[in-house]
Amino acid sequence: MPDTPKRYWLSVVERDTPEEVSRSLENGDPEFAPTRRSFLKAAGFTFGALAASSCRAPDVDAIPYVQQPDGLVPGRPLFYATTCGACEARCGLLVTTRDGRPIKIEGNPDHPFSGGSACAVGQASILGLYDSLRLQYPTKAGQRVAWADADKEILATLDRMKQEGRAVRVLTSTVTSPTTAAVIADFLSGFANGRHVSYDPISSAAILEAHAQTHGARLLPQYHFDQADVIVSFDADFLGAWISPLQHARGYASRRRASETSPTKSYHVQIESRLSLTGSNADRRLRVAPGEVGHVATHLAAKIAQRAGASFAAAGLTPSSFDAAIEAIAERLWNARTRGLVVSGSQDVQIQTVCNFINQTIGAYGVTVDLSRPSFQRSGSDTQLAELRAELARGEVGALIIAGVNPVFDLPDAATLSNDIKRVPLVVSTAERADETASLAHFVCPDHHYLEAWSDAEPVSGLVSLAQPTIRPMHETRAFIETLAAWAGKPQPALELIRAHWTMAVHPRAEGGLPFTVFWDRTLERGVAEVGPRPGAGAAPSFNAAAATPVLQPGGTSADGLTLVLYSKIGMLDGRHGHNAWLHEMPDPVTKVTWDNYASLSPETARRLGVEDGDVVRVTADGSSALELAAFVQPGQHDSVVSIALGYGRAGTDRFGRVGPPWFEARPRLEPVGVNAAVWITSTENARQYAGRAVTVTSAGRRRPLASTQVHHSLEPPGSTERRPIIQEVTLAELTAPPAAAPAEAEHPAGHVEGDLWPDDHPLEGHRWGMSIDLNSCTGCSACIVACQAENNVPVVGQDEVRRNREMHWLRIDRYYSGTDDELEVAHQPMLCQHCEHAPCETVCPVLATTHSEEGLNEQAYNRCVGTRYCANNCPYKVRRFNWFDYPHEDRLQNLVFNPNVVVRSRGVMEKCSFCVQRIQENKIEAKRLGQPLADGAIKTACEQTCPAQAIVFGDLHDPNSRVTALAASRRAYRVLEELNTQPSVRYLKLVRHERPAAAAGGEGRNG
Amino acid sequence: MADALIVGRVPLIAGNKVSADVTRDVLSALDTKPSALWWGGLALSMSALGLGTLAIVYQISTGIGTWGLNRTVGWAFDITNFVFWIGIGHAGTLISAILFLLRQRWRTSVNRAAEAMTLFAVMCAGLFPLIHMGRPWMFFWMLPYPNDRGSLWVNFRSPLVWDFFAISTYFTISAVFWYVGLIPDLATVRDREPGTMRSKIFGFLSLGWTGSFRTWHRYEVVYLILAALGTPLVLSVHTIVSTDFATGVVPGWHTTIFPPYFVAGAIFSGMAMVLTLMLVARKTMRLEDYITPQHIDAMCSLVILTSGLVGLAYGTEFFIAFYSASPYEQFAFYNRALGPLAWGYWIMVACNVIIPQLFWFTGVRRNLVVVFVISLLINVGMWFERFIIIVASLQREYLPSAWSDYAPTLIEITTFIGTLGLFFTLFLLFCRFVPVIAIAEVKGVLRPAHGGHAAHDSHSGYSDAVTPEAPRS
Repeated sequence: MPDTPKRYWLSVVERDTPEEVSRSLENGDPEFAPTRRSFLKAAGFTFGALAASSCRAPDVDAIPYVQQPDGLVPGRPLFYATTCGACEARCGLLVTTRDGRPIKIEGNPDHPFSGGSACAVGQASILGLYDSLRLQYPTKAGQRVAWADADKEILATLDRMKQEGRAVRVLTSTVTSPTTAAVIADFLSGFANGRHVSYDPISSAAILEAHAQTHGARLLPQYHFDQADVIVSFDADFLGAWISPLQHARGYASRRRASETSPTKSYHVQIESRLSLTGSNADRRLRVAPGEVGHVATHLAAKIAQRAGASFAAAGLTPSSFDAAIEAIAERLWNARTRGLVVSGSQDVQIQTVCNFINQTIGAYGVTVDLSRPSFQRSGSDTQLAELRAELARGEVGALIIAGVNPVFDLPDAATLSNDIKRVPLVVSTAERADETASLAHFVCPDHHYLEAWSDAEPVSGLVSLAQPTIRPMHETRAFIETLAAWAGKPQPALELIRAHWTMAVHPRAEGGLPFTVFWDRTLERGVAEVGPRPGAGAAPSFNAAAATPVLQPGGTSADGLTLVLYSKIGMLDGRHGHNAWLHEMPDPVTKVTWDNYASLSPETARRLGVEDGDVVRVTADGSSALELAAFVQPGQHDSVVSIALGYGRAGTDRFGRVGPPWFEARPRLEPVGVNAAVWITSTENARQYAGRAVTVTSAGRRRPLASTQVHHSLEPPGSTERRPIIQEVTLAELTAPPAAAPAEAEHPAGHVEGDLWPDDHPLEGHRWGMSIDLNSCTGCSACIVACQAENNVPVVGQDEVRRNREMHWLRIDRYYSGTDDELEVAHQPMLCQHCEHAPCETVCPVLATTHSEEGLNEQAYNRCVGTRYCANNCPYKVRRFNWFDYPHEDRLQNLVFNPNVVVRSRGVMEKCSFCVQRIQENKIEAKRLGQPLADGAIKTACEQTCPAQAIVFGDLHDPNSRVTALAASRRAYRVLEELNTQPSVRYLKLVRHERPAAAAGGEGRNG
Repeated sequence: MADALIVGRVPLIAGNKVSADVTRDVLSALDTKPSALWWGGLALSMSALGLGTLAIVYQISTGIGTWGLNRTVGWAFDITNFVFWIGIGHAGTLISAILFLLRQRWRTSVNRAAEAMTLFAVMCAGLFPLIHMGRPWMFFWMLPYPNDRGSLWVNFRSPLVWDFFAISTYFTISAVFWYVGLIPDLATVRDREPGTMRSKIFGFLSLGWTGSFRTWHRYEVVYLILAALGTPLVLSVHTIVSTDFATGVVPGWHTTIFPPYFVAGAIFSGMAMVLTLMLVARKTMRLEDYITPQHIDAMCSLVILTSGLVGLAYGTEFFIAFYSASPYEQFAFYNRALGPLAWGYWIMVACNVIIPQLFWFTGVRRNLVVVFVISLLINVGMWFERFIIIVASLQREYLPSAWSDYAPTLIEITTFIGTLGLFFTLFLLFCRFVPVIAIAEVKGVLRPAHGGHAAHDSHSGYSDAVTPEAPRS
């Protein structure tokens, strides 16, 4: 068509529009030209649509399954037994999944460690599954690579190394999985110079080395705190972060309960230089310098040896200033004999041998200290690690495969190490995130999150458990054992590897003669199986008393010097969970500080240095490395000690600067959370040392206020005449004293006040929910805080908001100190909505957003709340939490962790503990469906469910046979601020002390 | 009759005015071009108002978190400002209603401005309960209106609901009272320049006022009824505001003394604010003859009285805390005087109890500069009183574990400045567009020798308060 003018087009749309249409648009063809009517129609529609769309949130369609998976009923949870991968303790878990995604981690009730409980770290680890910073595919030099290509290249390099006879090293943390150990061994067997090196970032190697010396076997015993009447702990934070905290805490708590009918309680002595969580629970606490610990232990050993008539070569032992206290401890320990237990967290082999001597002399081996079924939870060897570092320094290593550890972060002298690692021809990391070490690796072959993977574990000899996936792997990750098997030339799915290993090595140890498939299925369902002890581990070794080497005089620094003590925190451990916001926001059980590590100083030392909480101090070790971090004044710490938590300062944690709400006065910290204190770790010949380094501390002249959820305030504030009866205590003697001798008010039936202004306008029939919290059992471990956060979708608000006292935790643990620094006593008090019968919050809400249910619950209707905050002002317990902002929920992946049974609250509304009303309803409906009465204990609130100490009991106060009714009648029961006539539904059971401290005679002050 | 008109034998209105002078003097502000001072004041006030508006818009769009509140201190600047402004309003109602019923005829010079002040202060006050809500767009849920949410009602036990009623009632009555009092003066303005736009507007607003005896009679009956209705409000509004605190369990809030204590404090602060405003208006609008030292003196006397009441309340609180044997109550007051906000407490005591005692001296009462300074200090002191009651009590409550501190953010401070801006903007506009002194009433208290016939009409009750003569231009 020569007449047609050339057509120019501006866009693809224009080009593809039929010519006549576009022309008619250009020319104002009447067919397309807007008329007045059509304009009004369009305008009307537009405004209508705008108005309509602003009226309500867009609907999101729920699409049913095309093929519904077996056993899955939408809206009903499924539970999978698995094994925790959050630390090497490997407790059993029961993971709740809803609609195909895991949303809550609980302890496996069938597992002897957990018994249904899970620690804070284990529960929080579910957040890591949905972390958008997890590696989603393998990388080569930071670039995405296909698994097949990565495998091909790695195999080629490994082959070259094999031909050249170069060293191939697999570096891991302690491997508790028998299959993994077998797979590693199998992989390395293909190399002439292949070796598996394992180390623990928080090492307990000294215990193993000491047993090698005294018992002739490099073993870590299993400690049975549930068998111990007298516990003497030298710096072992066994309730906090030491080896197997959940197992210890459950065992410990089982001996700490004291009631009128059974007025006994184990006696726990803690000899330590800083105030640990464990020390905060001790009946007797000696505040000693780090260098004195061994000396005190030797004195104790000498006194025990004297009583036992055993020989103990302690000639030249200098006298100890704690002699009287040690004498009393020795007496108790000797009286307990086999029911005694001495543990030490020291990395000094000498001290460990002395402890072994004491345990041996009192006969604790075989009762409280178990070598026949030893623990495999810390088997790393610091000697092997030192050898590997030497090999790396000499450039001898040809291939280094790093799994489950982050040596560049958690070992000292990281610069040298990373330089040495860079010289290795092939470095492969299987890290879940691009951490400090993985960033040096040639290939990163990311492992699954443990909730996506098949695995197994044998944390202690004879206790095997299986880990099964609770969700299909979300990303292109691959299990470490599959990866290694592939490189060994035998690619197999992890499940097959585990089944094969179990058929060969685990099933034969099982008793009962079940066929393998039955054994496997039962173990998979139950999560755990008890089998015979692992062959070759844990014979009954003989004791060599001569190997116990006494510490004859206290070591230590110069009179004015300060000694550094590095420790690991209950939430952060060695830093492997540095990307977990729940754990960062969980207050430290003792200091109540979130989102940071800090240099703790005793009040006396802080005064001497002229620093206060939040002042930045410069800590210099031996004049070399210096770090600046905020100071924290810690009562009960030894005056010569600076204690700093490990595990902080992970690369990439500056992401949490953006976790809080953005507004113009927000002051987020856009740098990593805390500083890495691993630079100060030192090494002796066979154990890495975390304490004992001489440091100087100077003020840096700046401030960095810590985000603390509780500051130092006294229960006997200035100007008041009496101590606030918020924490109440009895002694064992008072507990058994005849009722007449008990204080009269304890017998006073609370709840009936003369001239009560409250009308009976909410009669309670049917259930009446109540709770009992045993202050005597509670160790303050904070597992309940994370349980509550996970169950109730409690938002994380970030450091800046916590600093503004706007943390959102529905459940907090109040910590109160009493006594002097030398005789410090600590009380932990979980504080949550008390569901008062006469709730002050309910009367003042103008819109009836908080009301009383027929079952005694104090309910909060988020939809109705207009946010006057009057209820929070009027709550004497200060447990109400306000949504100051719309807390960011942009991370769609992270949002998958939400519990669909609990609404996510919007900005401007009040929220608080609901007694897990969703669990109450679920169980009531289930009971109704089954046509059965609701059994006591069927409903467990999230906090109760997870409490390792089983301090929390929830139940029906109208049920005369319920546990909570029985506990409410206990002589120990009291209600906080009962005198206000709020009539709380939560009863606390008084702390039971062995005796009143001497200082308490005059009614000592209790400081918070 | 002379006693009612003359305080201490000095006339209430100086300068031997006749009725025409009064009309001319008062309305001159409407006729002349505003001074540079007025423009400056308006610019400043409106800037403050603009800033405050920005702060409120930011706060509502971002969240209450932009205030310095926390889990322990749920109210601070917001409710402090609310009570502060409501308190200021009270003097207006007191002057217009109670003093009217008590035949305190010196009030005629100041009642118009005081009532306007009430109105503007209540507007400022009413803003805070609204914006302090987490979801202010749901404010109407505070109202008991029929709805289809299962007939969801409000909580009549909550003082906040009563607050809502009290404030809205107070605002309505104050506005009506002010407007009714304005009608004769509006008619005066109307009649001065017939045919102009102003005359038309004022004519519409004066509701067909004729100035007949019948009109005056109806007017006075209505005014009396409104005064009688307004009188209980002086007591009830702040009583209800005080129950916001008194019904709480917070130590330092939970006291039965609060209703009279708050009412006295409100009148005290309101009087101080009236003094502040009147002294400025008198000077800038050349109303020295109408607001004489006699008026100032009378108001200073009321300030001494209410300062004494407030001081008594402070002392009583401490005594009761001591006497209660409640450790929480005792500590709350220890904390007020010696805690982290002790500086605020001592500012409050100094400004509210100590400094006003200077008014015992005639020389001080007659020195208008000193009176002005003291009136400002009282306003500061009364603001701190509310701040201390609210924040110092909340921050140190029952469980020491939950104790916290509070510091305002820029947004809160700007919001407060914004309400100051609103208040002064409205007041400055009021000075320009409305007769700032009740012309008709003042004409009734002119000196007998020069005044109208009203002065001869002794012992005839309220009718002598106003002059039933046709306004003259």
